[in-house]
Amino acid sequence: MTQALLWASLAALGASPLPLARGADTFAVHAAELWLGDGQRIEDGVLLVEGGRIKAAGRGVDVPLGTPRIEHDSVISAGLIAFDCAVGLDGETSEPKRSVLATGRLIDAFDASAEGVAAALSEGITTLVLTPAPTTLAGGRCAVVKTAHGTVLSAEGLLALSLSEEALDPNRYPTSPSGAMTELERLLGAGQGALPAAARVAVLIEAPTRDDVRRALGLAERHGLRGALSGSRRAGELAEAIAAAQLAVVVGPFASGVAQRELDSVVALGRARVPLAFALELPTRHPAGLRLSASLCLRAGLDPAAAWSALTSGAAAVAGVQTRVGRLERGLDADFVLWSGNPLDLSSRPVAVFVDGVRAHQRGE
Amino acid sequence: MLSLALGLALGLVPRAALASSTPVPSPLSSAGPQESAPQEDAEGEVLWIHAQRLIVRPGEELSNAALLVRDGRIIAVGSDVVAPEGAREITGEVACAGFIDPWSVFGLEPEAAGDERTNAATRSVDGIDPYLDPRLRQQLVEAGITAYRLQAGTRARLGGVGACVRPHPGLPPDEAVLLENCCVAASVGITRGERGQDVFDRLAELDRLLGALSDAQSYLQDQIEYRYELEEWQKAITAKEKELEEGFKKAQKDREKEQQEAKEKDKEFKEKKYKEDRRPKPPRYDAEKEVLARCVSGELPLVVEVHRVAELRGLLEGTQSFGRLRLVIAGATEALAVAEDLAERRIPVIVWPAPQGRLLLNGSARPLEYSEADPALASRLEEAGVEVLLGSGGAFPSGTRELPLLAALAVGYGLDREAALAALTTRPARVLDVADRIGSLERGKQADVLVLSGDPLATTTRVLYVVCAGDIVVERKE
Repeated sequence: MTQALLWASLAALGASPLPLARGADTFAVHAAELWLGDGQRIEDGVLLVEGGRIKAAGRGVDVPLGTPRIEHDSVISAGLIAFDCAVGLDGETSEPKRSVLATGRLIDAFDASAEGVAAALSEGITTLVLTPAPTTLAGGRCAVVKTAHGTVLSAEGLLALSLSEEALDPNRYPTSPSGAMTELERLLGAGQGALPAAARVAVLIEAPTRDDVRRALGLAERHGLRGALSGSRRAGELAEAIAAAQLAVVVGPFASGVAQRELDSVVALGRARVPLAFALELPTRHPAGLRLSASLCLRAGLDPAAAWSALTSGAAAVAGVQTRVGRLERGLDADFVLWSGNPLDLSSRPVAVFVDGVRAHQRGE
Repeated sequence: MLSLALGLALGLVPRAALASSTPVPSPLSSAGPQESAPQEDAEGEVLWIHAQRLIVRPGEELSNAALLVRDGRIIAVGSDVVAPEGAREITGEVACAGFIDPWSVFGLEPEAAGDERTNAATRSVDGIDPYLDPRLRQQLVEAGITAYRLQAGTRARLGGVGACVRPHPGLPPDEAVLLENCCVAASVGITRGERGQDVFDRLAELDRLLGALSDAQSYLQDQIEYRYELEEWQKAITAKEKELEEGFKKAQKDREKEQQEAKEKDKEFKEKKYKEDRRPKPPRYDAEKEVLARCVSGELPLVVEVHRVAELRGLLEGTQSFGRLRLVIAGATEALAVAEDLAERRIPVIVWPAPQGRLLLNGSARPLEYSEADPALASRLEEAGVEVLLGSGGAFPSGTRELPLLAALAVGYGLDREAALAALTTRPARVLDVADRIGSLERGKQADVLVLSGDPLATTTRVLYVVCAGDIVVERKE
């Protein structure tokens, strides 16, 4: 029924429902429920799209006469955001010889047609954060891209640092955790200029163990770093300290066989109100893993609002693209998903996905 | 020191109990359902479970109905069932039968889980870890799992005899066993160790399995012939005995007469030789063939993990001559190519509906056999008329806990909700030969009941109460 209506409405949109560039059309989508992304769920809401951006979202939106209208009998939300992705050629996220690539840019390895991108789109994921592998002490800048039209949201995003032992290599400096800390202290030191001015650039620090998290917190405090920790399986044990340092945590990915302790760690972070985002590890993992990660955390007791924020608006804030995506709000990009049911329920699926106001995926195609 | 001794003493109790209460079954004995002792409730408490939507079995629902549980059994179900005085009352939105995972390694001793040297006669119940942390079982029932097939040797060519077990956190391991022989497991062409296999390796493995089945069939034939011959021999002996008995006096006279004659003629007397037929010899005992013979005769189902088209086709073709074999296929990544055949021969298929990532050359993210994995496999097979079961893949012990989430994901990928519920309840119960006891909320069944806040296959639904073998094992405030 939904699909039939959708098709009828799409037909009404005009001859070509799939223009390649940013949608120039104006159209409205009426949904049984709009999830705005700030915690609000509007029943019987309307999303008005114009020129690839959201012109209005809410109830009682003034829709100009003659505007094409899509009817959807379930939930519409902003597109999902996934961290820790690599879409491009194999090996382009790591550098085996040099430990510091402060000016490296992951965007240079971005291939919009790479394996997994279309699959991610069909899972309702519209934004990917491309992250350097944690094998480099300072791996360069993350990139934030969309899963359709090759849109780049941010070419110079978070600066990736790694305290992981993976970044230590006997064939290059640093070779030990203390060496890594010394080097990072030097690079981040005021006036050295080796790393971009720390005060202005947010960082993403890979800190797998509890000790790594402590070290990362120390660095953050001494150098006034903002940003997020990632890969920290037991970060929840230090939730209060992380909250006090005003850092976010990128968690997951979680799949079959995950230890309960890792999930409990996420629940503890949620309780301490630490901002969260979910890692996906595309293309190594299947894109359905993003919502599966969230569902595992929900079952362990994570607050649904925190989980939803970690999939959308919260993740956008961590990635530094909250003014473009993550919510259904006037002025933001028209990246949204028409769901068959509650998006936090794994038995729901995206019926259609729009990116930049253009339908980029339709179920059954 | 004291605590160590105490721990040992406590730990040894279940092991000893296990050994004493699960005797080795005599090989060709008919294995009727071996019922574990029903849980006698000390106080004889009666449970009255009421739900807005009571799913008796997939496709059969009662609205605003209740069921009564006493002594671990469902004694009444219906819209008119009222709470007897003194009964414990439980109410919820939805009630349905507990979920069954037909493909699990949960609860095995850690060293035993990945054992590749098991054989057909390996008994999974022997691998149950008596020291398993009860909290792990608690996590399973909290996820809604009330029974599962425990299978040793899931990475071996022959995994041995699987058992149907409850994850009841309060029962000693031996009492938690519903059926200690519910199937025999085998695998063909899966990645073993680090090594993937090419098509010829895989087909060679298939030939070995078919060869073993064929040997088992001959063994079975020999057994049958032996029993027939033994019967014939016994009959012949009895007839001869009777003849000798009846003709005894005449024979005695004849003998005396002959003796006399011999004496008169001064000849040597020769005793008449009595010749007896040789007793037939039984075929040489072979533990593995004994077990596989029970598969060939249709007594135990044979669950074969097989993924790719070449060996799937070969397996279907090669098993055609075993008319009574109850074949179940697990994995079945590329089974769509043979879906028609599977549907026609009513071969159930156990699908692990986990999303599989990309194959990596080094540090592979998933085994090679899943390289063509499709999250919509369960739904596509079901649409093609194949009977689909959902299982947790036999890879991670804790994977069983994730099965209800993965089943919901399969629904997202198009699997019909009713079929998905059947794939977790009635179908595994039937395939594992425990449908007379679990899998639905019918009168007379053992009480494995979930009380939920919403649809059983929505991951936003909360499990409020779980009743396992009549005991309340999960109790949560909404």
